[in-house]
Amino acid sequence: MSVLIGGVLLGAGVLLFVLEPVFSGKSAPMYDGDDVFDEGAARRRVALTALRDLEYDRATGKLDENDYGQLRTELSREALEHLEDEGGGGDGGRGPDRASRELEEEIAELRRAIREGMQCGACEHLNRLGAQFCGRCGEGLGREPRMPGEGLS
Amino acid sequence: MTILGEIALWISLPVALWGAAVSFAGGRLGRGDLVLSGERTVHVVTILLVLVSAGIIAAFLGNRYEYYYVVNYSNRELDTYFKVAGLWAGQRGSLVFWTLLLSVFSSIAVFFNRRRNREFMPYVSGTLLGILSFLLIVLLFAEVNPFERLGFTRFNGLGLNPQLQNYWMTIHPPTLYLGFTAFAVPFAFAVSALGMLKVWNMVLVVLTFLLTIFATFLTRSGLIESVHSFAENLTIAYIFLGFMGGMAIFAAILIIHRLPSLRPENQIQSFLSRESAFLFNNLLFIGVTFAVIWGTLFPLITEGFFGETRNVGPPYFNRVNIPLGLMLLALMGIGPVIAWRRASKRNLRKNFTLPVAMGVATLAVLLVAGVRHGMALATFALAAFVMTIVVTEFWKGTKARARIAGEGIVSAFRGLVKRNRRRWGGYIVHAGVALVFTGLAGAAFDARVEQEMVPGEAMTVRSALGSEYRLVYESLSHTRPRVADDVQENDWRWTALLTAYRDGERIGVLRPEKRFYPVMEQTSTEVGISSSVLEDLYVIPKDLETGTDRATFEVKVLPLVPWIWTGGMIVAIGTLVGLWPPRGVPVPSAVRERAVRRPVPAGAAG
Repeated sequence: MSVLIGGVLLGAGVLLFVLEPVFSGKSAPMYDGDDVFDEGAARRRVALTALRDLEYDRATGKLDENDYGQLRTELSREALEHLEDEGGGGDGGRGPDRASRELEEEIAELRRAIREGMQCGACEHLNRLGAQFCGRCGEGLGREPRMPGEGLS
Repeated sequence: MTILGEIALWISLPVALWGAAVSFAGGRLGRGDLVLSGERTVHVVTILLVLVSAGIIAAFLGNRYEYYYVVNYSNRELDTYFKVAGLWAGQRGSLVFWTLLLSVFSSIAVFFNRRRNREFMPYVSGTLLGILSFLLIVLLFAEVNPFERLGFTRFNGLGLNPQLQNYWMTIHPPTLYLGFTAFAVPFAFAVSALGMLKVWNMVLVVLTFLLTIFATFLTRSGLIESVHSFAENLTIAYIFLGFMGGMAIFAAILIIHRLPSLRPENQIQSFLSRESAFLFNNLLFIGVTFAVIWGTLFPLITEGFFGETRNVGPPYFNRVNIPLGLMLLALMGIGPVIAWRRASKRNLRKNFTLPVAMGVATLAVLLVAGVRHGMALATFALAAFVMTIVVTEFWKGTKARARIAGEGIVSAFRGLVKRNRRRWGGYIVHAGVALVFTGLAGAAFDARVEQEMVPGEAMTVRSALGSEYRLVYESLSHTRPRVADDVQENDWRWTALLTAYRDGERIGVLRPEKRFYPVMEQTSTEVGISSSVLEDLYVIPKDLETGTDRATFEVKVLPLVPWIWTGGMIVAIGTLVGLWPPRGVPVPSAVRERAVRRPVPAGAAG
């Protein structure tokens, strides 16, 4: 008898728990909440991850400067293309996680680099913000070198 | 408890079918309530299967000999520990255990993805519940129900296979099952999130899952001579074969249908790149897999074509797989050092000088020491090469990070691993595998002596590493242990006592044993083992004569065997590091190549 009651209770409990969402309309999220990636964002992120690997390979001496420069240009362009896909809006503040923020900062830096003419006119290499000469071909980056003390004028 | 378990088994099937149906429907129709119901089902099925398993264990512990399964795998004389293990001692219980593990893995997958990969999670739940439903149908309708009753109650059971009455034999099924059953999870992700993987990744994931089913079919059916063929029921083997065929067709259709979106976007840019190393790596793994399949199926193939069964033994597997394994080992070293996309010869020279030098130095030292075994030499040299690379990688990475981030060595090291767990977890795994290989190559130097002795006599054996082991045969005793007063003995034991000395120093007492199981009328052997950092000492009793106490022992010294265990543990640690979920939500790789446009929620635009 007690077994029968146990079985019935078990069955009823299972039914209730499994069917409850259908009756109450409770819903599972159908799309990723905090961390939504669309095509552009995903591709940009992939390109940025590749950029990071590139930096690491260079720092540990696995890549030649020449290859590094060339690949960096390609990857940066790819990352930026997808950035522009989004209408320049970016996706700032989307994710609360640190990795996301760090990536956003990298994107922002790349964007400033373009705006402020850090891309080399001769070889299209994308240089770090603040660079005065191209890291790849040595070409000047179209700005007068600042002398100490005159930066703010 | 047992009846509750049986009820739980019957409830679980309709529930799992419901869950599979609403998960697919919910995904298709975009109905979150159905999806939630499906995900709850996954957890419910897990709980139900825990009850089922508890029911089976309760039947074993309670000596319920009205159940066919309990009668066949237990008796009153059996130790409690082995009664609990009865859950996976036979085919019926093993199937329940497989289903239980798969449901636990499914629950974990659903739980960790409750806010991630939401677009395709309904299909993942659906696929997993589909596989679970299949297993439950088999359990309930293929004459393998673990709760089947005899119609009468026997006073005692038939006992457990003596081979399984050993601690390590008892835990081997669950430890292997853990990995084996888990392959259904990547399969579910692969077929649900098409586009997340490249074609060949997809094929590999699907193939792996199908092969786990195929292996089950082969061993369970008895087609291949195997200790695992329960051979009580062949229907189930063919059901598995049919299921595998169905899944293969389903996966093939999916892959072909989605082929355009699966094509790799990036070409391999250079032969000298990590991408191409990965490609070779995968080809080698496929090579090893097919070599093993060929060797396993060989008796069937020869029987089918030539009418006589021929077996291939260890020589075949060694000849084919050792060279492939060594190539894999080499790639394990090359992979991390070679750059993504493009590596230049100059860089390679720079990065490979030290590791190659270490490999060559190892080779030279061993040659001077008199080692002449070609494969073993190659293994040791390559392992040294891989180890050097792993250590250098960690060192270089830490140094680079310390320099760039301006951190101390310790925090740079922590930051390094944290930032890219998969990379560094992978390197740890490489180090572990190099150790495992080294340990395996130790088999080339096994020392073996067989000797007949009477108590008081001693024997010596010299190991390849130069230690001298001396074993003094002290005595032979006979016991008939009982688990309780009111039962017979489960087994009769003849235990030899030997004191072991290494290079004159006493290292312990070994108690190798012969056992006789009166119920099964079978004997078994318990090996006396003494393990040190460098080698294992095995004492195997061959012949024990009561009365005269004369005994023959086979003594083996197996160099580097403990390294296999240590390496395995390092592999496990590396895997944990690699899989440990990062804080915050990582990039779902699933979205990489996928064109998913999500509808903009109201109010979010602008």
